[in-house]
Amino acid sequence: MTHFLVMTSFAALAAVVFGIVAKETQNERVVYGLKVFVEFMVIGLALGWILYFLPF
Amino acid sequence: MSKVEQGRLVDEERAPAQAWAMGAAAWLLPGAGHLLQGKWVRALLLGGAVWICFLAGLWMGGHLFVVKSGEPGSSMLYQLPPMIANLGTGLLYMVSWFMGTGFSDDPVNAARATYEYGNTFLLVAGLLNYLCMLDAFDISAGRKS
Repeated sequence: MTHFLVMTSFAALAAVVFGIVAKETQNERVVYGLKVFVEFMVIGLALGWILYFLPF
Repeated sequence: MSKVEQGRLVDEERAPAQAWAMGAAAWLLPGAGHLLQGKWVRALLLGGAVWICFLAGLWMGGHLFVVKSGEPGSSMLYQLPPMIANLGTGLLYMVSWFMGTGFSDDPVNAARATYEYGNTFLLVAGLLNYLCMLDAFDISAGRKS
């Protein structure tokens, strides 16, 4: 299992729960779930690249 | 007070007890709180997410936390928060405890590349189930649809 696949799985699972729990209508849930998923992925990748260049 | 109003009052008083029961069911078995309220799709999605998160965590070699007293170099303050997070999975945690799965301090397991991922998945499974539990409670109490 690659690191990327683990991160994607984590983001997807968390996004499903956050989307359903946080919003009321189905449309809002889908939009918010996708937003959370994208945020997890973008922040994860950004942090990964920042840490990659750090010398410790 | 009319009989209709009295009936409503009784219903409102009963709702919290039922809501607590739904919350407890949701905590005990991820997905059960919504399932008992007839929310099949939500139960499948929320319960499924928690179950997958937990099983994936165990599969990746993650460690479940329990407070152990008397161990050198360990403090209860370090062990209690992750144990509370792990406890969120209810029966999944308890069954693992009785079976001894995920609780061993195996150095070979800890050396696996996915060990920390597994830990995170197990912690997050419990935390997500706490959210599901609150959702089941709110639905049963009439605060959410």
